[in-house]
Amino acid sequence: MPIGAPINPGRVCWTGENPGIMLKEQPDGPWSALALFFRVAWSPHGAGIALVLYEQPNRKESLPHCNNVVITDNQPMAQFLMADFVAKFGVFGEVPAFANMHYLPVTHASNSGDPVGNRYCEAVASDGLNVDLVWEQLGRPTAIEVPPELSGTGQHTMFSLLVESREAAIFVNGRRLAGAPQPREQAGLQTTTAFLYFAESWISG
Amino acid sequence: MAPRIPINPGLVEWSGDNPGIYLRDRPDGPFVTLALFFKVVLSPHGSGTAMLVLGAPDQAGTWPQRPNLMITDNQALARYLVDGFVVNMPTFRGKPALEGLAFLPLTSASTERQGQRHCERVCSADLVVEMVWDRPGVPFAVEVNPEQSATGTHQMYSIFVEAKVASVLIAGRRLAGIVTDRQLFGRTISTAFLAFSETWVKPVPA
Repeated sequence: MPIGAPINPGRVCWTGENPGIMLKEQPDGPWSALALFFRVAWSPHGAGIALVLYEQPNRKESLPHCNNVVITDNQPMAQFLMADFVAKFGVFGEVPAFANMHYLPVTHASNSGDPVGNRYCEAVASDGLNVDLVWEQLGRPTAIEVPPELSGTGQHTMFSLLVESREAAIFVNGRRLAGAPQPREQAGLQTTTAFLYFAESWISG
Repeated sequence: MAPRIPINPGLVEWSGDNPGIYLRDRPDGPFVTLALFFKVVLSPHGSGTAMLVLGAPDQAGTWPQRPNLMITDNQALARYLVDGFVVNMPTFRGKPALEGLAFLPLTSASTERQGQRHCERVCSADLVVEMVWDRPGVPFAVEVNPEQSATGTHQMYSIFVEAKVASVLIAGRRLAGIVTDRQLFGRTISTAFLAFSETWVKPVPA
C-alpha cells in the first residue's frame, strides 16, 4: 500500500473498534434499525465503550417509547463521539432518532466469537435492556486507509481493519429487529452495511 | 512518495494492542529489561492476551530461575507472535532469554487506568506480572513499510503514546532499568510506549 512519511503529522482524535449494523426491510425502503458499537482505547475523554442503538431510527423519541439510546461507561467520551463523529456519519446523524438519544449506564459488556471465523458478537446491557449485535458470513480482513474526502466525517483520515458481514442481526431483549444488511460501497470497495471495524483510528489535519 | 490507495491488498496477519517497555541501566547501556504486552483481536490463531517479560534478556534460562517468561491465554497465538514477529524485532533479535522461554497459562488479566497511569496486569495462578506506563505524551499515528518495520517484512499501522515513566514488576519485584530515549523515524521518543490499534500486514508480492 501507501507509505509516505512513517509518522503521520495529523492529530489523533480517537482510536479503537467501531463495528456496526445497518438494516433495511426493503432495498429501497428506509433504515429499519441501526447500531454502532465503540470500544475506544484512547480519546481526549479517556477510554470506554458505547453502544449507539436506533431501534426506531425514524422516530424522534427515546425512552420510554423506544430504545433509541446510547449505552456507555464513559458519557463524556460517548457525547464527544456522537457530536464529532456519529453526527457526521451520514444516515446515523440524519435520522430523526439522533436528535433525542437517551444515555444509559453499562451494566454488562462482553464479546464472543472469532472475526476470522464464522460469527462475532457484542453484547451490551443496561439493567433490563439487553442488546446483542451478531455478525455472520464474515469476509477477509482488509486494512483500509480512507482519505478525508472519502471518510465518514469528510474531515478525517481513517485507518481501519474491515471485516465485512453478509448476515447480521440486532437483538433487543432477545427480539430480533426487522431488516437485513444491504450492499454498499466504501472507498471503491464493494461491501455491506454490516461491518466489523477493528484497529480504527481517526486523524485530523 | 508512493500514492496512497485506500484498500490494502495485503494479507492481514494480526491486529490488536501491543504496548512495550524497554529499560536500560544508563542511557548508553544495553537493555536490561524488555517487555511486550499483546491484546490481539484477530489472528490466524484467534484472539488472546499475552505478556512477554525478559528481566534478564541476555541470559538463557526461564522462570522461576530467571525473570524471563511469557504468560498467555492462547499458547498457539503467543508462539506465533514470538516466532514470527518478536524474534525478528531488532531489540529482541538474538536474545538468549528467548531460548527455552516458559509459556505459563494466564488465569486472569486486567487493565487499570488511573489518571495518567496505565497498567496491564496478568496472573498465572499466584504469580502476578505488571507493566505500568505513566506521564503519557500526545498520541501519534505511524504507518510503516516493510523496510521500516520491526520485522523487515510487514507493513504496520499503529497509534503510539510514549510514556516518560514506566516499570515492570514480577511478583511485586520491580525489574531493573529506567526509561530512556530512542530514535523512531527521525523523532526522539521514549523506550516505553502504549501502542493501540496495531495491524500487521503481509504485502502482496510485487
